[in-house]
Amino acid sequence: MAADKKMFAKHLEIKFTKEHGANKMEGGKITDMVGKYYRLGVEQNPRKLEMKKAGQELAKKRGLVGYNPMMHCGGIPLGQRALTPSFISGTDMMVEIDDLHYVNNAAMQQMWDDIRRTVIVGIDLAHETLEKRLGIEVTPETINFYLETLNHALPGGAVVQEHMVETHPALVDDCYCKIFTGDDELADEIDKQFLIDINKEFPAEQAEQLKAAIGKTTWQAAHIPTVVSRVTDGAQTSRWMAMQVGMSFISAYSMCAGEAAVADLSYAAKHAGVISMGEMLPARRARGPNEPGGISFGHLADIVQTSRIDPEDPAHVALEVVGAGCMLYDQIWLGSYMSGGVGFTQYATAAYTNNILDDNLYYDVDYINDKYNGAAKKGTDNKVKATLQVVKDIATESTLYGLENYEKYPTALEDHFGGSQRATVLSAAAGAATAIATGNGNAGLSGWYLCMYLHKEAHGRLGFFGFDLQDQCGATNVLSYQSDEGLPVELRGPNYPNYAMNVGHQGGYAAIASAAHAGRGDAYAVNPLIKVCFADSLLPFDFTAPRKEFGRGALREFMPAGERSLIIPAK
Amino acid sequence: MAYKPQYYPGATSVAANRRKHMSGDVEKLREISDDDLVMILGHRPPGSDYRSTHPPLAEMGEPECSIRQTVEPTPGAKAGDRVRYVQFVDSMYNGTSVPYFRSYNAAIKFRGVDPGTLSGRQVVEARERDMEEVAKFQIETEMFDPALSSLRGATVHGHSLRLQEDGVMFDMLDRARLESDGIVKMHKDQVGRPIDKKVELGKPMSPKEAAKRTTIYRVDNVAYRSDKEVLEWVHRVFDQRTKYGFKPE
Repeated sequence: MAADKKMFAKHLEIKFTKEHGANKMEGGKITDMVGKYYRLGVEQNPRKLEMKKAGQELAKKRGLVGYNPMMHCGGIPLGQRALTPSFISGTDMMVEIDDLHYVNNAAMQQMWDDIRRTVIVGIDLAHETLEKRLGIEVTPETINFYLETLNHALPGGAVVQEHMVETHPALVDDCYCKIFTGDDELADEIDKQFLIDINKEFPAEQAEQLKAAIGKTTWQAAHIPTVVSRVTDGAQTSRWMAMQVGMSFISAYSMCAGEAAVADLSYAAKHAGVISMGEMLPARRARGPNEPGGISFGHLADIVQTSRIDPEDPAHVALEVVGAGCMLYDQIWLGSYMSGGVGFTQYATAAYTNNILDDNLYYDVDYINDKYNGAAKKGTDNKVKATLQVVKDIATESTLYGLENYEKYPTALEDHFGGSQRATVLSAAAGAATAIATGNGNAGLSGWYLCMYLHKEAHGRLGFFGFDLQDQCGATNVLSYQSDEGLPVELRGPNYPNYAMNVGHQGGYAAIASAAHAGRGDAYAVNPLIKVCFADSLLPFDFTAPRKEFGRGALREFMPAGERSLIIPAK
Repeated sequence: MAYKPQYYPGATSVAANRRKHMSGDVEKLREISDDDLVMILGHRPPGSDYRSTHPPLAEMGEPECSIRQTVEPTPGAKAGDRVRYVQFVDSMYNGTSVPYFRSYNAAIKFRGVDPGTLSGRQVVEARERDMEEVAKFQIETEMFDPALSSLRGATVHGHSLRLQEDGVMFDMLDRARLESDGIVKMHKDQVGRPIDKKVELGKPMSPKEAAKRTTIYRVDNVAYRSDKEVLEWVHRVFDQRTKYGFKPE
């Protein structure tokens, strides 16, 4: 690939050879091995200046010091080298890197809010209980009436009680419940405002797969209020939904609130068919369901919706999952739940900024299509058999190409100034490429680990403490005969043994899971219900384009939910 | 037949240099005085006694123990020194050493050391006088280039940044400078505290010399692709680890 065709060239040229703020970065080439260091400090960068001013005002207002960039390194502030902006990969959105910390980015917060506040609840058992235990007829009309009731009750409206407090609709306007089914006849009878229409939201081929998997069953896709989820936690989601489901059934079907049969309904309606986005974690990590550490890589691959709007480009699908995964797993889960502070963000953003990973993966796609007769194109008949030889060939070429980019483009190396960043990008490319070519997630995982070994030997360094904890032992677990170690990548998650520590891995693993299935043209990676649940444009966060949404958040263009402006003094 | 360690595969100069670092058979290029070393390490004032965390072992009345009889304590352990560190940073632009090979050198050639290997930095922790022995060895030999290697306790990202215009690896804390006499001098210790006098590290290697002595593969010097034996060996490691997990026999 010629220099001018490198996908990162344009962005690195703007980033490193054009002045931004007052950083004096005008001139030079992205291939220069020598740079000028002006040591301008925070004064060179517009966002840092804004933050410095805010820190000063805060100290004055409260009489207690706060943010002060001169506290860095005992008086040597950030900006001893040029502070440069970044581009969101796959877009031309140039952002300040500070604005990619989730605290500074409303879109990132909303992505996590929208996952955490979501629960899928089956409705068929409740209907069977109504019909068989209580002799109540269930028809499309009663289902529509129930859904109308639920969309009043779920945000916090009262349905049975009298003289009850209620939540203000304007504070919970992001809360609702829709329904979906694999039964086209039933779908036709459901009021369109309540329906996630599989035929409309997915390409025909994917819609058929999804309907076949879901069959005649019917499911509620519920999203409790963002504000509720933020005040409580992910484990609250199913409870909030359960309470309001129970009350809505009682109201919609005119049931007695006290008879024993309602207990049967309660179990059937509230608990018997609940799908959480994340599993509960063990005591040492102590989180309930619907917290990030319990979200399997396959689930995240299904939550991200790029596969239904760009099914012909499996690499794009994987890259969007990388972005979503690095943000959720690295920046929020590892970076805050498990650790703290700001460091994880710097590492995670490498995978979804400045097109460096994109360039590597699309190079791999070309390589695979040339060498393996179009195996990187969407399809099942064109895949190459997942053998160790194939893994070695694809992952090695991918890694050597990526390493050489860092060596030929010192600005790319400077952009990814930490070995953890480089390891993430190189391995995500190698792993996703192998998965796309083979349609096999664990083959992709195998490519990931080989990339780690190759990278370590090339540069004599890798990531944090050599990533010894998980990457040097990782290959042994890919096909392990021990079931917990040898788990398919789709079912692994942040709490998988050895995956709980190092930055920059989990988004890549999720991408590998998605790449295998996007490569095959599968409608979903592991759970068709989750895939359909998030095929919904009413959600505040657009899951078809996570990276673009992060850009909108960084540019302060994203409108989040759960705001409290209504109940606080105006500024 | 006496065992002769092979250390590392590969037919290139990079592979050969890696073997040298691992074996400890490296060329001595410069000297640093004990006081200068102590000053840039920054753990104690030059000339002062080592601080200890326990009395000398000989005074401790140690229990009967076959391991204690078998393993001779290092001088630092014998004296009861506290554990301190030296941390190196090596530029990716043909720095002579790289983190893993600093660690291998420390672990193979020295006793009582605890190397930690990261991407930008490599730390060796040991009893203080034992650590000083490692630090001195690595600074005085071809494992160190005053322009492309550095002692840095913190802020190590210069390893992957473009070089300064004078060819020196960028340092956020500006601990070492190439001065007008052509000598690189440290005027701060490894964590960036100013020191009482400048400590000379010597002249930078020429780019050609650094390229000859380096242990990092680079496409503009010795390309990783070109070292077929190393790639083959990595593949073998990968194969064996994968297959062992599947069928451990």
